[in-house]
Amino acid sequence: MSATIAPDRAGPIAEAVAAGELPGRVWLYSNYHCNLACSYCLTESSPRSERRQLTSETMLAVAEQAGALGFTGLGVTGGEPMLLAWLPDTVAAMAEHLPVVLLTNGTLLGGARIERARPLARDDVAVQISLDSHLPEVNDMARGPDNFAKVVEAVPRLLALGVRVRIATTTAGQLDDPRLDPLRELVSSLGVAPDDHLIRPIVRRGRADERGLGVTAAPRDIPSELTITADGAFWGSFGPTVRAGRLDTDLLITRTVLPLAVPANVLLAVARGLPPGNDTNLGIR
Amino acid sequence: MARVELLDAASAPLTAQRYFAGGDPGPIVAALATVPELLAPTLEFLGAALGDGAVATRHKELAILRTSVLQGCRYCVHAHTAVALDVGLGVEEIRALHGEVPVESGFPDVGERALLGWIDAMAGATGPLPDDVWEAVRQHWPDHVLIELSVTIGATLLLNRFATGFDLPISPAVTVRLESAGLT
Repeated sequence: MSATIAPDRAGPIAEAVAAGELPGRVWLYSNYHCNLACSYCLTESSPRSERRQLTSETMLAVAEQAGALGFTGLGVTGGEPMLLAWLPDTVAAMAEHLPVVLLTNGTLLGGARIERARPLARDDVAVQISLDSHLPEVNDMARGPDNFAKVVEAVPRLLALGVRVRIATTTAGQLDDPRLDPLRELVSSLGVAPDDHLIRPIVRRGRADERGLGVTAAPRDIPSELTITADGAFWGSFGPTVRAGRLDTDLLITRTVLPLAVPANVLLAVARGLPPGNDTNLGIR
Repeated sequence: MARVELLDAASAPLTAQRYFAGGDPGPIVAALATVPELLAPTLEFLGAALGDGAVATRHKELAILRTSVLQGCRYCVHAHTAVALDVGLGVEEIRALHGEVPVESGFPDVGERALLGWIDAMAGATGPLPDDVWEAVRQHWPDHVLIELSVTIGATLLLNRFATGFDLPISPAVTVRLESAGLT
Protein backbone atom coordinates (compact mmCIF):
# COMPACT_ATOMS: atom_id res chain seq x y z
CA MET A 1 0.00 0.00 0.00
CA SER A 2 1.05 3.56 -0.57
CA ALA A 3 2.54 5.56 2.26
CA THR A 4 0.43 8.56 1.36
CA ILE A 5 -2.72 9.23 3.32
CA ALA A 6 -6.03 9.39 1.51
CA PRO A 7 -7.79 12.70 2.21
CA ASP A 8 -10.73 10.96 3.89
CA ARG A 9 -8.41 8.94 6.14
CA ALA A 10 -6.39 11.65 7.81
CA GLY A 11 -5.94 11.21 11.55
CA PRO A 12 -3.39 10.08 14.10
CA ILE A 13 -3.62 6.40 13.17
CA ALA A 14 -3.41 7.05 9.43
CA GLU A 15 -0.43 9.32 10.01
CA ALA A 16 1.29 6.76 12.25
CA VAL A 17 0.75 3.99 9.71
CA ALA A 18 2.04 6.17 6.88
CA ALA A 19 5.09 7.11 8.96
CA GLY A 20 5.82 3.48 9.84
CA GLU A 21 5.15 4.02 13.54
CA LEU A 22 2.37 1.43 13.43
CA PRO A 23 2.04 -1.57 11.12
CA GLY A 24 -0.81 -1.23 8.67
CA ARG A 25 -2.47 -4.57 9.30
CA VAL A 26 -5.14 -5.32 11.88
CA TRP A 27 -5.48 -8.96 12.88
CA LEU A 28 -8.66 -10.66 13.99
CA TYR A 29 -8.79 -13.98 15.86
CA SER A 30 -12.07 -15.26 14.47
CA ASN A 31 -12.06 -18.19 16.91
CA TYR A 32 -9.72 -20.28 19.03
CA HIS A 33 -10.83 -23.84 18.33
CA CYS A 34 -9.12 -25.89 15.66
CA ASN A 35 -9.36 -29.31 14.07
CA LEU A 36 -5.58 -29.67 14.59
CA ALA A 37 -3.40 -29.41 17.72
CA CYS A 38 0.04 -28.31 16.45
CA SER A 39 2.95 -28.75 18.81
CA TYR A 40 4.05 -25.12 18.60
CA CYS A 41 0.61 -23.53 18.59
CA LEU A 42 0.71 -20.16 20.35
CA THR A 43 -2.89 -20.42 21.43
CA GLU A 44 -3.05 -24.10 22.45
CA SER A 45 -5.79 -24.44 19.86
CA SER A 46 -7.31 -27.87 19.44
CA PRO A 47 -10.72 -29.47 18.91
CA ARG A 48 -11.27 -29.17 22.67
CA SER A 49 -10.42 -25.47 22.93
CA GLU A 50 -13.06 -22.97 23.95
CA ARG A 51 -14.39 -21.34 20.79
CA ARG A 52 -14.14 -17.73 21.98
CA GLN A 53 -15.23 -16.58 18.55
CA LEU A 54 -15.90 -13.14 17.16
CA THR A 55 -19.24 -12.60 15.49
CA SER A 56 -19.46 -11.85 11.81
CA GLU A 57 -20.93 -8.46 12.73
CA THR A 58 -17.95 -7.59 14.92
CA MET A 59 -15.48 -8.63 12.23
CA LEU A 60 -17.25 -6.47 9.66
CA ALA A 61 -17.32 -3.51 12.03
CA VAL A 62 -13.59 -3.90 12.71
CA ALA A 63 -12.93 -4.00 8.96
CA GLU A 64 -14.99 -0.89 8.28
CA GLN A 65 -13.51 1.08 11.18
CA ALA A 66 -9.98 -0.05 10.42
CA GLY A 67 -10.34 1.36 6.93
CA ALA A 68 -11.77 4.61 8.24
CA LEU A 69 -8.95 5.01 10.77
CA GLY A 70 -6.29 4.55 8.13
CA PHE A 71 -5.09 0.99 8.56
CA THR A 72 -4.15 -0.62 5.27
CA GLY A 73 -4.89 -4.33 5.61
CA LEU A 74 -6.58 -7.06 7.61
CA GLY A 75 -5.59 -10.54 8.68
CA VAL A 76 -7.90 -13.28 9.93
CA THR A 77 -6.51 -16.11 12.00
CA GLY A 78 -7.51 -18.54 14.74
CA GLY A 79 -7.87 -21.35 15.78
CA GLU A 80 -9.01 -22.53 12.41
CA PRO A 81 -11.21 -19.88 10.81
CA MET A 82 -12.65 -22.23 8.21
CA LEU A 83 -14.44 -24.13 10.98
CA LEU A 84 -16.90 -21.22 10.94
CA ALA A 85 -19.50 -21.77 8.22
CA TRP A 86 -20.04 -18.04 7.57
CA LEU A 87 -16.36 -17.12 7.48
CA PRO A 88 -15.70 -17.03 3.68
CA ASP A 89 -18.63 -14.68 3.03
CA THR A 90 -17.57 -12.48 5.94
CA VAL A 91 -13.99 -12.29 4.68
CA ALA A 92 -15.26 -11.30 1.24
CA ALA A 93 -17.39 -8.56 2.82
CA MET A 94 -14.43 -7.37 4.90
CA ALA A 95 -12.37 -7.11 1.72
CA GLU A 96 -14.76 -4.43 0.52
CA HIS A 97 -13.03 -2.23 3.10
CA LEU A 98 -9.41 -3.43 3.13
CA PRO A 99 -7.38 -6.30 1.62
CA VAL A 100 -7.55 -9.46 3.73
CA VAL A 101 -5.13 -12.29 4.41
CA LEU A 102 -6.93 -15.38 5.72
CA LEU A 103 -4.83 -17.92 7.58
CA THR A 104 -6.03 -21.51 7.41
CA ASN A 105 -4.51 -24.92 7.84
CA GLY A 106 -6.02 -25.89 4.49
CA THR A 107 -7.35 -29.22 5.70
CA LEU A 108 -11.04 -28.44 5.47
CA LEU A 109 -11.18 -27.95 1.72
CA GLY A 110 -11.17 -31.56 0.48
CA GLY A 111 -13.62 -32.84 -2.11
CA ALA A 112 -16.71 -30.74 -2.64
CA ARG A 113 -15.79 -28.53 0.34
CA ILE A 114 -13.44 -26.60 -1.94
CA GLU A 115 -16.54 -24.73 -3.08
CA ARG A 116 -16.61 -23.01 0.32
CA ALA A 117 -13.54 -21.08 -0.81
CA ARG A 118 -15.22 -19.61 -3.88
CA PRO A 119 -16.10 -16.25 -2.18
CA LEU A 120 -12.37 -15.86 -1.50
CA ALA A 121 -11.51 -15.80 -5.21
CA ARG A 122 -10.97 -12.06 -5.48
CA ASP A 123 -7.96 -9.80 -5.91
CA ASP A 124 -8.14 -8.34 -2.42
CA VAL A 125 -8.08 -11.67 -0.54
CA ALA A 126 -5.13 -14.01 -0.04
CA VAL A 127 -5.38 -17.38 1.67
CA GLN A 128 -2.31 -18.29 3.68
CA ILE A 129 -1.80 -21.98 4.38
CA SER A 130 0.77 -23.51 6.71
CA LEU A 131 3.27 -26.06 5.44
CA ASP A 132 6.37 -26.73 7.49
CA SER A 133 8.36 -29.35 5.57
CA HIS A 134 8.69 -31.02 2.17
CA LEU A 135 8.75 -34.32 4.08
CA PRO A 136 5.23 -35.48 4.95
CA GLU A 137 6.31 -37.27 8.11
CA VAL A 138 8.20 -34.21 9.43
CA ASN A 139 5.36 -31.81 8.60
CA ASP A 140 2.73 -34.12 10.05
CA MET A 141 4.68 -34.72 13.25
CA ALA A 142 4.13 -31.10 14.24
CA ARG A 143 0.81 -30.46 12.52
CA GLY A 144 -1.09 -33.73 12.66
CA PRO A 145 -1.81 -36.83 10.57
CA ASP A 146 -2.39 -36.37 6.83
CA ASN A 147 -1.85 -32.62 7.05
CA PHE A 148 0.79 -32.64 4.32
CA ALA A 149 -1.37 -34.58 1.87
CA LYS A 150 -4.40 -32.36 2.47
CA VAL A 151 -2.43 -29.16 1.96
CA VAL A 152 -0.68 -30.36 -1.17
CA GLU A 153 -4.09 -31.31 -2.55
CA ALA A 154 -5.79 -28.07 -1.54
CA VAL A 155 -3.29 -25.55 -2.90
CA PRO A 156 -3.64 -26.29 -6.65
CA ARG A 157 -7.39 -26.59 -6.30
CA LEU A 158 -7.59 -23.18 -4.64
CA LEU A 159 -5.40 -21.67 -7.34
CA ALA A 160 -7.61 -23.24 -10.01
CA LEU A 161 -10.58 -21.61 -8.33
CA GLY A 162 -8.87 -18.25 -8.70
CA VAL A 163 -7.87 -17.87 -5.05
CA ARG A 164 -4.52 -16.26 -4.31
CA VAL A 165 -2.53 -18.65 -2.09
CA ARG A 166 0.39 -17.89 0.19
CA ILE A 167 2.33 -20.55 2.07
CA ALA A 168 3.66 -19.94 5.58
CA THR A 169 6.42 -22.08 7.00
CA THR A 170 7.16 -22.00 10.70
CA THR A 171 10.58 -23.26 11.59
CA ALA A 172 12.56 -23.95 14.73
CA GLY A 173 15.78 -23.57 12.71
CA GLN A 174 17.47 -20.73 10.86
CA LEU A 175 15.30 -18.87 8.37
CA ASP A 176 17.95 -19.20 5.65
CA ASP A 177 18.67 -22.88 6.31
CA PRO A 178 19.46 -24.54 2.93
CA ARG A 179 17.55 -27.59 4.17
CA LEU A 180 14.43 -25.53 3.46
CA ASP A 181 15.30 -25.40 -0.26
CA PRO A 182 13.37 -28.58 -1.14
CA LEU A 183 10.34 -27.06 0.56
CA ARG A 184 10.78 -23.87 -1.47
CA GLU A 185 10.88 -26.00 -4.61
CA LEU A 186 7.77 -27.90 -3.54
CA VAL A 187 5.89 -24.66 -2.89
CA SER A 188 6.91 -23.34 -6.27
CA SER A 189 5.81 -26.57 -7.95
CA LEU A 190 2.38 -26.14 -6.38
CA GLY A 191 2.05 -22.87 -8.28
CA VAL A 192 2.79 -20.44 -5.44
CA ALA A 193 5.11 -17.54 -6.25
CA PRO A 194 8.31 -17.28 -4.14
CA ASP A 195 7.15 -13.91 -2.81
CA ASP A 196 4.07 -15.64 -1.46
CA HIS A 197 6.14 -18.11 0.59
CA LEU A 198 6.74 -16.78 4.13
CA ILE A 199 9.32 -18.44 6.35
CA ARG A 200 9.20 -17.36 9.98
CA PRO A 201 10.44 -18.52 13.36
CA ILE A 202 8.45 -20.11 16.14
CA VAL A 203 7.83 -17.41 18.73
CA ARG A 204 8.36 -18.65 22.27
CA ARG A 205 4.95 -17.93 23.70
CA GLY A 206 1.98 -20.09 24.62
CA ARG A 207 2.46 -23.81 24.06
CA ALA A 208 5.81 -23.13 22.34
CA ASP A 209 7.05 -21.58 25.58
CA GLU A 210 5.96 -24.58 27.63
CA ARG A 211 7.94 -26.81 25.26
CA GLY A 212 10.99 -24.55 25.06
CA LEU A 213 10.56 -23.97 21.32
CA GLY A 214 11.36 -20.90 19.27
CA VAL A 215 12.82 -17.45 19.64
CA THR A 216 12.39 -15.39 22.78
CA ALA A 217 10.74 -12.06 22.03
CA ALA A 218 10.14 -9.08 24.29
CA PRO A 219 7.07 -6.94 23.56
CA ARG A 220 9.10 -4.51 21.49
CA ASP A 221 10.35 -7.44 19.35
CA ILE A 222 6.81 -8.34 18.33
CA PRO A 223 5.32 -6.27 15.50
CA SER A 224 2.78 -3.95 17.04
CA GLU A 225 -0.10 -5.01 14.82
CA LEU A 226 -3.44 -4.28 16.44
CA THR A 227 -4.99 -7.68 17.14
CA ILE A 228 -8.65 -8.16 17.96
CA THR A 229 -10.02 -11.16 19.83
CA ALA A 230 -13.10 -12.10 21.80
CA ASP A 231 -11.05 -11.32 24.92
CA GLY A 232 -9.98 -7.83 23.90
CA ALA A 233 -7.36 -6.05 21.82
CA PHE A 234 -3.69 -7.02 21.94
CA TRP A 235 -0.25 -5.80 20.92
CA GLY A 236 0.57 -8.00 17.95
CA SER A 237 -0.81 -11.21 16.55
CA PHE A 238 1.51 -13.05 18.93
CA GLY A 239 -0.12 -11.29 21.88
CA PRO A 240 -3.25 -13.29 22.73
CA THR A 241 -1.43 -16.52 23.47
CA VAL A 242 -2.58 -19.24 25.82
CA ARG A 243 -0.54 -21.41 28.15
CA ALA A 244 -1.86 -24.09 30.48
CA GLY A 245 -5.36 -22.96 29.56
CA ARG A 246 -4.80 -19.38 30.70
CA LEU A 247 -4.86 -16.41 28.34
CA ASP A 248 -1.66 -14.37 28.51
CA THR A 249 -2.51 -10.78 29.43
CA ASP A 250 0.94 -9.20 29.28
CA LEU A 251 0.29 -7.85 25.77
CA LEU A 252 -3.35 -6.99 26.39
CA ILE A 253 -4.05 -3.41 25.29
CA THR A 254 -7.74 -2.96 26.07
CA ARG A 255 -10.77 -5.13 26.72
CA THR A 256 -12.69 -2.65 24.60
CA VAL A 257 -12.69 -3.68 20.96
CA LEU A 258 -15.20 -1.32 19.38
CA PRO A 259 -15.07 1.48 18.56
CA LEU A 260 -11.72 0.43 17.12
CA ALA A 261 -10.28 3.88 17.79
CA VAL A 262 -10.14 3.01 21.51
CA PRO A 263 -7.60 0.17 21.27
CA ALA A 264 -5.89 1.76 18.25
CA ASN A 265 -5.11 4.95 20.14
CA VAL A 266 -3.84 3.06 23.20
CA LEU A 267 -1.67 0.91 20.94
CA LEU A 268 -0.19 3.99 19.32
CA ALA A 269 0.53 5.57 22.69
CA VAL A 270 2.29 2.40 23.89
CA ALA A 271 4.21 2.06 20.61
CA ARG A 272 5.50 5.59 20.96
CA GLY A 273 6.66 4.83 24.49
CA LEU A 274 8.70 1.74 23.67
CA PRO A 275 12.19 1.71 22.15
CA PRO A 276 12.58 0.10 18.71
CA GLY A 277 12.46 -3.68 18.72
CA ASN A 278 14.26 -6.49 17.00
CA ASP A 279 11.33 -7.96 15.09
CA THR A 280 12.94 -7.50 11.69
CA ASN A 281 16.15 -9.26 12.69
CA LEU A 282 14.23 -12.08 14.36
CA GLY A 283 12.04 -12.46 11.26
CA ILE A 284 8.84 -12.35 13.29
CA ARG A 285 5.85 -11.71 11.05
CA MET B 1 -8.41 -15.94 47.98
CA ALA B 2 -9.98 -13.39 45.67
CA ARG B 3 -12.82 -14.38 43.39
CA VAL B 4 -11.06 -12.87 40.37
CA GLU B 5 -7.51 -13.24 39.15
CA LEU B 6 -5.05 -10.81 40.69
CA LEU B 7 -2.40 -10.08 38.07
CA ASP B 8 1.27 -9.92 38.94
CA ALA B 9 4.19 -8.14 37.28
CA ALA B 10 4.62 -10.92 34.71
CA SER B 11 0.97 -10.97 33.64
CA ALA B 12 0.29 -7.24 33.90
CA PRO B 13 -0.71 -5.66 30.56
CA LEU B 14 1.73 -3.23 28.97
CA THR B 15 -0.13 -0.13 30.10
CA ALA B 16 -0.44 -1.46 33.66
CA GLN B 17 3.15 -2.48 34.19
CA ARG B 18 4.21 0.84 35.71
CA TYR B 19 1.93 0.16 38.66
CA PHE B 20 3.83 -3.06 39.37
CA ALA B 21 7.33 -1.57 39.00
CA GLY B 22 7.66 -0.87 42.71
CA GLY B 23 6.44 -4.29 43.82
CA ASP B 24 3.00 -5.61 44.72
CA PRO B 25 0.55 -2.74 44.08
CA GLY B 26 -2.17 -4.33 46.21
CA PRO B 27 -5.26 -6.28 45.25
CA ILE B 28 -7.35 -3.37 43.93
CA VAL B 29 -4.79 -2.51 41.25
CA ALA B 30 -3.99 -6.18 40.64
CA ALA B 31 -7.66 -6.87 39.92
CA LEU B 32 -8.34 -3.68 37.92
CA ALA B 33 -5.34 -4.41 35.67
CA THR B 34 -7.43 -7.11 34.00
CA VAL B 35 -9.26 -4.25 32.27
CA PRO B 36 -6.25 -2.04 31.57
CA GLU B 37 -8.11 0.81 29.94
CA LEU B 38 -10.00 1.38 33.20
CA LEU B 39 -6.96 1.27 35.45
CA ALA B 40 -5.49 4.74 34.96
CA PRO B 41 -8.78 6.68 34.86
CA THR B 42 -10.15 4.79 37.86
CA LEU B 43 -7.03 5.36 39.94
CA GLU B 44 -6.97 9.00 38.92
CA PHE B 45 -10.57 9.39 40.04
CA LEU B 46 -9.99 7.52 43.29
CA GLY B 47 -6.90 9.58 43.98
CA ALA B 48 -8.81 12.81 43.52
CA ALA B 49 -11.83 11.61 45.46
CA LEU B 50 -10.01 10.04 48.39
CA GLY B 51 -6.76 12.00 48.46
CA ASP B 52 -5.84 15.47 49.54
CA GLY B 53 -8.32 18.22 48.76
CA ALA B 54 -9.86 21.26 50.36
CA VAL B 55 -11.48 19.10 53.02
CA ALA B 56 -9.30 18.18 56.01
CA THR B 57 -7.78 14.70 55.84
CA ARG B 58 -9.40 13.88 59.17
CA HIS B 59 -12.87 14.49 57.79
CA LYS B 60 -12.17 12.59 54.60
CA GLU B 61 -11.17 9.59 56.66
CA LEU B 62 -14.30 9.92 58.78
CA ALA B 63 -16.32 9.65 55.58
CA ILE B 64 -14.29 6.77 54.14
CA LEU B 65 -14.15 4.64 57.26
CA ARG B 66 -17.76 5.27 58.31
CA THR B 67 -19.05 4.51 54.79
CA SER B 68 -17.03 1.29 54.72
CA VAL B 69 -18.43 0.26 58.11
CA LEU B 70 -22.00 0.93 56.99
CA GLN B 71 -21.42 -1.12 53.83
CA GLY B 72 -19.83 -3.98 55.76
CA CYS B 73 -16.68 -3.91 53.64
CA ARG B 74 -14.14 -5.95 55.54
CA TYR B 75 -11.28 -5.05 53.21
CA CYS B 76 -11.88 -1.28 53.31
CA VAL B 77 -12.59 -1.14 57.06
CA HIS B 78 -9.37 -3.01 57.68
CA ALA B 79 -7.26 -0.82 55.39
CA HIS B 80 -8.79 2.49 56.44
CA THR B 81 -8.68 1.75 60.14
CA ALA B 82 -4.92 1.80 59.67
CA VAL B 83 -5.13 5.01 57.61
CA ALA B 84 -7.31 6.58 60.31
CA LEU B 85 -4.58 5.89 62.87
CA ASP B 86 -2.04 7.38 60.47
CA VAL B 87 -3.95 10.65 60.15
CA GLY B 88 -4.36 10.99 63.91
CA LEU B 89 -7.77 9.62 64.77
CA GLY B 90 -7.87 8.19 68.27
CA VAL B 91 -8.78 4.65 69.19
CA GLU B 92 -12.02 5.80 70.83
CA GLU B 93 -12.98 7.74 67.71
CA ILE B 94 -12.26 4.72 65.54
CA ARG B 95 -14.34 2.49 67.83
CA ALA B 96 -17.21 4.95 67.47
CA LEU B 97 -16.88 4.88 63.69
CA HIS B 98 -16.84 1.07 63.87
CA GLY B 99 -20.11 1.21 65.81
CA GLU B 100 -18.58 -0.43 68.87
CA VAL B 101 -19.36 2.58 71.09
CA PRO B 102 -21.91 5.40 70.68
CA VAL B 103 -20.91 8.19 68.27
CA GLU B 104 -21.40 10.71 71.09
CA SER B 105 -18.65 9.14 73.17
CA GLY B 106 -16.13 9.34 70.38
CA PHE B 107 -17.14 12.70 68.92
CA PRO B 108 -18.10 15.39 71.45
CA ASP B 109 -17.99 18.14 68.82
CA VAL B 110 -21.51 18.90 67.62
CA GLY B 111 -20.35 19.81 64.14
CA GLU B 112 -18.59 16.49 63.62
CA ARG B 113 -21.61 14.66 64.99
CA ALA B 114 -23.79 16.46 62.45
CA LEU B 115 -21.34 15.51 59.75
CA LEU B 116 -21.45 11.84 60.80
CA GLY B 117 -25.23 11.91 60.79
CA TRP B 118 -25.14 13.24 57.23
CA ILE B 119 -22.56 10.59 56.21
CA ASP B 120 -24.81 7.89 57.68
CA ALA B 121 -27.76 9.22 55.68
CA MET B 122 -25.71 9.45 52.49
CA ALA B 123 -23.92 6.10 52.70
CA GLY B 124 -26.17 3.89 54.79
CA ALA B 125 -29.66 4.65 53.57
CA THR B 126 -31.72 4.97 50.42
CA GLY B 127 -34.25 7.53 49.31
CA PRO B 128 -34.41 11.24 50.09
CA LEU B 129 -32.09 12.74 52.67
CA PRO B 130 -34.11 13.62 55.83
CA ASP B 131 -34.60 17.36 56.23
CA ASP B 132 -33.40 17.38 59.83
CA VAL B 133 -30.13 15.73 58.84
CA TRP B 134 -29.59 18.31 56.13
CA GLU B 135 -30.51 21.27 58.34
CA ALA B 136 -28.10 20.05 61.03
CA VAL B 137 -25.14 19.52 58.74
CA ARG B 138 -25.50 22.77 56.78
CA GLN B 139 -25.29 24.77 60.01
CA HIS B 140 -21.67 23.68 60.36
CA TRP B 141 -20.34 22.86 56.90
CA PRO B 142 -20.25 24.85 53.65
CA ASP B 143 -21.51 23.46 50.35
CA HIS B 144 -18.07 22.81 48.93
CA VAL B 145 -17.11 20.57 51.82
CA LEU B 146 -20.28 18.51 51.52
CA ILE B 147 -19.93 18.25 47.76
CA GLU B 148 -16.31 17.13 48.03
CA LEU B 149 -17.24 14.62 50.73
CA SER B 150 -20.15 13.31 48.67
CA VAL B 151 -17.63 12.42 45.95
CA THR B 152 -15.43 10.81 48.60
CA ILE B 153 -18.41 8.76 49.81
CA GLY B 154 -19.28 7.77 46.25
CA ALA B 155 -15.74 6.61 45.51
CA THR B 156 -15.72 4.69 48.78
CA LEU B 157 -18.98 2.96 47.89
CA LEU B 158 -17.42 1.90 44.59
CA LEU B 159 -14.42 0.44 46.40
CA ASN B 160 -16.62 -1.17 49.05
CA ARG B 161 -18.57 -3.14 46.48
CA PHE B 162 -15.47 -3.90 44.41
CA ALA B 163 -13.53 -5.27 47.37
CA THR B 164 -16.48 -7.11 48.89
CA GLY B 165 -17.89 -8.48 45.65
CA PHE B 166 -14.53 -9.91 44.60
CA ASP B 167 -13.51 -10.87 48.13
CA LEU B 168 -10.17 -9.07 47.97
CA PRO B 169 -7.68 -10.31 50.56
CA ILE B 170 -6.74 -8.14 53.53
CA SER B 171 -3.13 -7.43 54.34
CA PRO B 172 -1.63 -9.59 57.14
CA ALA B 173 0.79 -6.78 58.03
CA VAL B 174 -2.09 -4.38 58.63
CA THR B 175 -3.82 -6.99 60.79
CA VAL B 176 -0.76 -7.20 63.03
CA ARG B 177 -0.64 -3.43 63.34
CA LEU B 178 -4.33 -3.11 64.21
CA GLU B 179 -4.10 -5.87 66.79
CA SER B 180 -1.18 -4.10 68.44
CA ALA B 181 -3.36 -0.96 68.67
CA GLY B 182 -6.21 -2.92 70.21
CA LEU B 183 -8.31 -2.71 67.05
CA THR B 184 -9.42 -5.72 65.06
